[in-house]
Amino acid sequence: MTEIAVGAAPLSRERVGFSLNRVGVIAANTLTEAVRQKVFNFFLIIGLVFIGSASFFAQFTFGEQMKFIKDTCLGVISVISTLIAIVGTAQLLPNEVENRTIYTILAKPVRRFEFLLGKFLGSLFLLGVSILAMSLLFGAVLFIKEQGMIRELHEQYGQNLPAAEVADMNQQIQEVTRSAFDVDLVKALLAETAKATLVAAITLLISTFSTSLVFNVIVPFMIFVAGMLRGAAAEVWGGHKLLMALLAVVPDFGLFSIADEINLGNPVPWGHIGEVIAYGLVRTLIIVIAAHLIFSRREI
Amino acid sequence: MGMKLLVVILLFGTGLGLLPMENSVRNERLRLKYGGARVTFELREAIGQNLAIALLAGLRGVVADFLWIQSHGFWEKKEWLRQYRDMEVVVTLQPQSILFWDLGSWHMAWNIGYAALTDPQNRTRAEGIKREREWHEKARDFLARGIQNVPNHYDLYFYMGWLYYEKLNNDCDEPPCRDALCRAAEYFRKAASFPDAPQYVARMYPRALEKCGDLVAAYAEWKRLWFQDHTKVEQLWSVIEREIKQLENRLNIPNDQRVFPRGTS
Repeated sequence: MTEIAVGAAPLSRERVGFSLNRVGVIAANTLTEAVRQKVFNFFLIIGLVFIGSASFFAQFTFGEQMKFIKDTCLGVISVISTLIAIVGTAQLLPNEVENRTIYTILAKPVRRFEFLLGKFLGSLFLLGVSILAMSLLFGAVLFIKEQGMIRELHEQYGQNLPAAEVADMNQQIQEVTRSAFDVDLVKALLAETAKATLVAAITLLISTFSTSLVFNVIVPFMIFVAGMLRGAAAEVWGGHKLLMALLAVVPDFGLFSIADEINLGNPVPWGHIGEVIAYGLVRTLIIVIAAHLIFSRREI
Repeated sequence: MGMKLLVVILLFGTGLGLLPMENSVRNERLRLKYGGARVTFELREAIGQNLAIALLAGLRGVVADFLWIQSHGFWEKKEWLRQYRDMEVVVTLQPQSILFWDLGSWHMAWNIGYAALTDPQNRTRAEGIKREREWHEKARDFLARGIQNVPNHYDLYFYMGWLYYEKLNNDCDEPPCRDALCRAAEYFRKAASFPDAPQYVARMYPRALEKCGDLVAAYAEWKRLWFQDHTKVEQLWSVIEREIKQLENRLNIPNDQRVFPRGTS
């Protein structure tokens, strides 16, 4: 955080305007610190190992293998990104308070909102890096599997084929490639990123008033579980308006689960994805504002 | 205190404000037929507690895959009824999966059916045949449910046609069991009407018509296939030519009306 101090005039906090540069510096430092954490590396490595091992579904048909790989990899990305969002964000503020670095930073011309936003963005960068790394490995697994299947097809059909059989083989190769590299998988990854962002925002909100790391981890996790059950609750208790109104405070995390539909080949329109992502972003924005309102009045 | 109250009001207020958006997304999902069976007590009993938790965590696909792999294990151990039970649960979880309906019916009609036929515990050959046919019927009902759930793809119509063509004809191509082959032709026709159906699907329709006994319709269909644009449509043209020639001979088509008149190459 020393970059902020260099050349900073001794202005009172009220006179300091909002600076994206300061937010960026705090976010970059947060990312650096988070990447060095063992817990982050542990989750990321676990995720990468699971994704890498998804290619070992070997004794099934081509269709089964592709479905299993995609389901497993997207499931792992969903679980690991949620865990990283919770654990990575939960310790941001408590660590700063415990190490007393927050006093040094806030004594400088840095607004509390800049500090909070920088921390949150750092956490989102961490999520972005994790999801990108897992997605790249996922792509590599699909590529290797696709190449293996195409090789098998060539071996099955043999050499010097009549033109008609070449057409048949090419049709099957196209089917393999289309199945392996479905552009719609990007939609699933975007929805998962929006979900993890929302989870990170909830964790940030909790950590603005709680100093216990365990509390900061468990409560967002329970809110996440409750959010996953909201869809089922809406089906069962849809008629109870008051109950549903009370549940409305918990985001419906089930809305972000579209990976299954994409893997099944169901059409997932961009409009639908846009609506889901917009829902996640609006929820995130409101929660970050709520976190700011609490953090701005908090006695440190 | 005032700020905490403001935060609570903010969170509840926006939560309520977002309810129409949530309902809109849910309704869109209902319209697109997303998801599968709700997690009920019966389903929880069927899949076990751990898988039920995974299901509630949004890992429906992973749970279905796990159960499918488990059912594959039962197949290897020849525990057919357990395999059947798992397959039923899997399609309950993911009724939109063509793969599960297809492979499930294939296991029933081909693998389990054959195992029932050759089961040493059968007292007579007739008992084996009866049990095999029961599994064929199960496979047909299973696929029919699949078609109800996934009506907009060629696949399950084709597999149903294949089931009638290969298994439900009771190894006979004379009336009345020929009806199964006519039913097969109907399903192949429906499957071939989808633009993304592979080339062999289109060829199965006239082939089944021929076996059903409707040689004239089969000939007309082979001709329709032949007169498609050969530069734009990929087909096994040599096979179609062979079938047309064969039918022209069987139907005694006059030489001047033939697609391939006698005496030409």
